[in-house]
Amino acid sequence: MSADDGQDVPRTSLVLRDRMGSGGQGDVYPVEGAGDLLFKEYKNPHTVDQAALSVLPAFRQSLAAADLARLDAVAAWPLCRVTDGGRAVGFLMRRAPDRLTWQAPSGRTKLLELQHALHPPKAGTRTVPQPSPEQRRALAAACADAVDWFHAAGMVIGDISHANILWSLSPEPSVHFLDCDGFRRVGGAAVQAQADTPDWGDPLTPPSQACVDSDAYKTALAVVRILTQDPYVTPGATLRLVPGCLNDRQEDAVRSLFQQATGPRGTRPKPAEWRNALSDRGTIQLRATTPRQRPTVDTSVLDGVRNRKPIPLRGR
Amino acid sequence: MQLLPFYLVCDESGSMAAGGVDAINGALPDLHDEISSNPAVADKARFAMIGFSTDATLLQPLVDLSEIDSLPSLSAGGVTSFAAAFRLLKSTIQTDVDQLKAEGHSVFRPVVFFMSDGGPTDTDADWRGALKELNESRYAPKIIAFGISTADVATITEVANFKAFIQESDNISPAAALREFASSLTRSIVNSTTSISANGGEGFDLQVDDHVPGFTSLSLDKM
Repeated sequence: MSADDGQDVPRTSLVLRDRMGSGGQGDVYPVEGAGDLLFKEYKNPHTVDQAALSVLPAFRQSLAAADLARLDAVAAWPLCRVTDGGRAVGFLMRRAPDRLTWQAPSGRTKLLELQHALHPPKAGTRTVPQPSPEQRRALAAACADAVDWFHAAGMVIGDISHANILWSLSPEPSVHFLDCDGFRRVGGAAVQAQADTPDWGDPLTPPSQACVDSDAYKTALAVVRILTQDPYVTPGATLRLVPGCLNDRQEDAVRSLFQQATGPRGTRPKPAEWRNALSDRGTIQLRATTPRQRPTVDTSVLDGVRNRKPIPLRGR
Repeated sequence: MQLLPFYLVCDESGSMAAGGVDAINGALPDLHDEISSNPAVADKARFAMIGFSTDATLLQPLVDLSEIDSLPSLSAGGVTSFAAAFRLLKSTIQTDVDQLKAEGHSVFRPVVFFMSDGGPTDTDADWRGALKELNESRYAPKIIAFGISTADVATITEVANFKAFIQESDNISPAAALREFASSLTRSIVNSTTSISANGGEGFDLQVDDHVPGFTSLSLDKM
């Protein structure tokens, strides 16, 4: 089966293996004989906005090759709708690659969720790979960069949280979004009514009105929680950054942006501002910051004998 | 931090010897794995385990599951004193909640998953009196009761104050039912705590399966 063309797939054509996950909105099954394809089946398909779900595969189909590769790298995007009796009951997506998993002390393989980068390790999470301070900076930058890319493409993410972003340190620090049926076009409808994840809500925006600005607020939460390894820090709190993850320029910029995130809607730092603040590119010290010395001029050569003559004034 | 304490209260009387305690003991690592590897859940959930037979024992004091590497096992023997279980539960909850509050936490009403494979061997007055005291205590818990094997529908219904389930004996073995019981408890911990924020005055929805495979849901609309 190919889901890559974005065309609807009938539910009856799918042979499913055992359910591998269950959330509030749906269940996820591997599809037999379809490689890494997964089927998310909605528990209440009658609450699904059919058109809003159509937007997501169509968005993927609209991308040029380079952007398509980028989307598939950063998201388990809905490839196509799955329909039953003319109604969409779910969609197909790809399983997260192995690099986005970790092996628990029990030996079981689990998804490497953002929460595992935010909570200091305990006995139950001692086998989670721990980012170096430099990798934390790169991970936070990758997160901001991905949100910026979606915004530039006209998509709102909606529910940015510890559970629906995966991460990896290899081959380089990167992120991968899950639950992408929560995305919607800027100004468009959501596939289903969706609540914010607790501790990840924008206090100024109800979840039903998710927009680039609420995404910006949640990007601030994600970035700073990665940099502080504190899963609950919010704008306005004292920042305790993981030592060594930022240089002085980056730290000044992050502190300033985090303060800015306490502001009203429309003034929160854009994801691109976070990306620039976290950039590992050095700044270029511009020379010529003082005026060039003006050359000394020998004015004597310009001062000749003056031939002044009276100006005859016409008398009356 | 806002915390939700869960108490697993398990019958470990002699009748649980035939694979019963083994089934629970075998399922506990899965419960631990699921919770302890999920920091957002483990942060807000606390877990304790009481075994009861002739007497009741606090096998695992209330703990953050992500901080422990082993759990004490259930071991079958003796008769079935519901009264001992309810009394120990009441005193344990009282101590635990006071302790958590003293540490600065906000504590939601505790949740009890109670399981028995038979009827109480105490007098009716004794176990009913102990249950009444528990339900009238300051931190009276929400009780979800499961009955397997020879457990009596009326008794299980009476113990529960939130939801009750009785094993469908024809469709599932007691051991398989106990594994489903443990899975249901795990789902309840995960799904309930993921609706809790770390701080702030928001409430939460106690999530307990409406239907547990191998069990019939019992109505609590008693008259």
